[in-house]
Amino acid sequence: MTMSSQRSHYLDRPSSSGLVDVIDLILDKGLVIDIYVRVSLVGIELLTIDARIVVASVDTYLRFAEAVNRLDLARSGTETKGLPGMMEEIREGGGRQKAKGVLEGVKEKVTDALQSDPDEEQEEEPEERPRRRERPASRRENER
Amino acid sequence: MTAPAQRACYVYGIMREPRDAAPCAAAVAELPAVADPNARVEFVSYRGLAAVVSDVPTDRALGTPGDLQAHARVLDALAALREPVLPFRFGTVVRDAAAASGELLASGYDGFVTALDRLEGLTQFTLRARYVESEVLREVLDEQPQIQRLRSEVGGLPESAGYYERIELGRMISDAITAKRSVDSAEIEHHLAPFTVAMTTAQPAAADGVVDASFLVGEERRQAFERAADDLAARWQGRVRMRLLGPLAPYDFVSEAMSDIKEGGG
Repeated sequence: MTMSSQRSHYLDRPSSSGLVDVIDLILDKGLVIDIYVRVSLVGIELLTIDARIVVASVDTYLRFAEAVNRLDLARSGTETKGLPGMMEEIREGGGRQKAKGVLEGVKEKVTDALQSDPDEEQEEEPEERPRRRERPASRRENER
Repeated sequence: MTAPAQRACYVYGIMREPRDAAPCAAAVAELPAVADPNARVEFVSYRGLAAVVSDVPTDRALGTPGDLQAHARVLDALAALREPVLPFRFGTVVRDAAAASGELLASGYDGFVTALDRLEGLTQFTLRARYVESEVLREVLDEQPQIQRLRSEVGGLPESAGYYERIELGRMISDAITAKRSVDSAEIEHHLAPFTVAMTTAQPAAADGVVDASFLVGEERRQAFERAADDLAARWQGRVRMRLLGPLAPYDFVSEAMSDIKEGGG
């Protein structure tokens, strides 16, 4: 982080990964050693976390509809992209955290589900109902 | 259950036995171990390889947020030393340290050595791109007059009425965003691929997701890669939020690095 650091305010570079990031990063990834038959694995029960949300649901649609209805169209569209509109865009770009609508709402739901109390993160078990992990292959579906 | 005394050996991953052990030891010295904050992360070696392990209790299930983060932090701290690391799947536990070296490292030895060679000088970076909701919705409205029209109609209806219209409106928006997602995701790949050795992409579960993309980046291209990512983030500022994680252990590439290697005493 030497030369590029002046520029990287556009890019979020967290110094350590948060919980949601970690779950996406490591769950179902990495080498599985039950292929090494000579290794005696010790079976410890694993809690599993299902971080998936259904993206295309009625609920999502309604949230989108609500968000688009709340949207202030004054500066959008083809009509008003004059100087005032552009100024506003620049300002908005500066304060990126302002929009808090459906999309972030959905994201928060995951975060909440995963860390209902961040202070007890070390001890607390995830909200999802613990169950035994079966074959570790098929749980995550990455195809649309 | 064969483990005596309710303890066993958690395995994070495998690396080469470092010529100088001090930096590796230092990198993990302060990090909490999986499942036991008092346990120390240690290295057990076998013929030039080292398994990264710690002592775990066997009487409680693994997988709390703290466990998951501990696993990743240890591996990422080692990856940050620019030493290739083979991350194991979360929850890999063997009987004891002797089993980690004598059984695990011994039985997979050639494969591990080959995979570590293949990953020499390479680290993973993971990019998470997420839409800024208001901006992507504006784009959708600008680009699709029929959505704009439906929006005005629905907007005039009272909350109780127009349920199905609202669903239809939302569905059209969702479809429009899906279409944008594939365009923008392709642009990310196109923009960053020149600096990477390998790449995998996945569609994020979150509705605002553009793409989760992991890249295997060579040391000599790393700065250029980071610059390219930053350029893209600058270009899309206010429209797409981009988070770049890394350097990380090669979670998304280790299986590939191990592929075509005959293994497992079969």
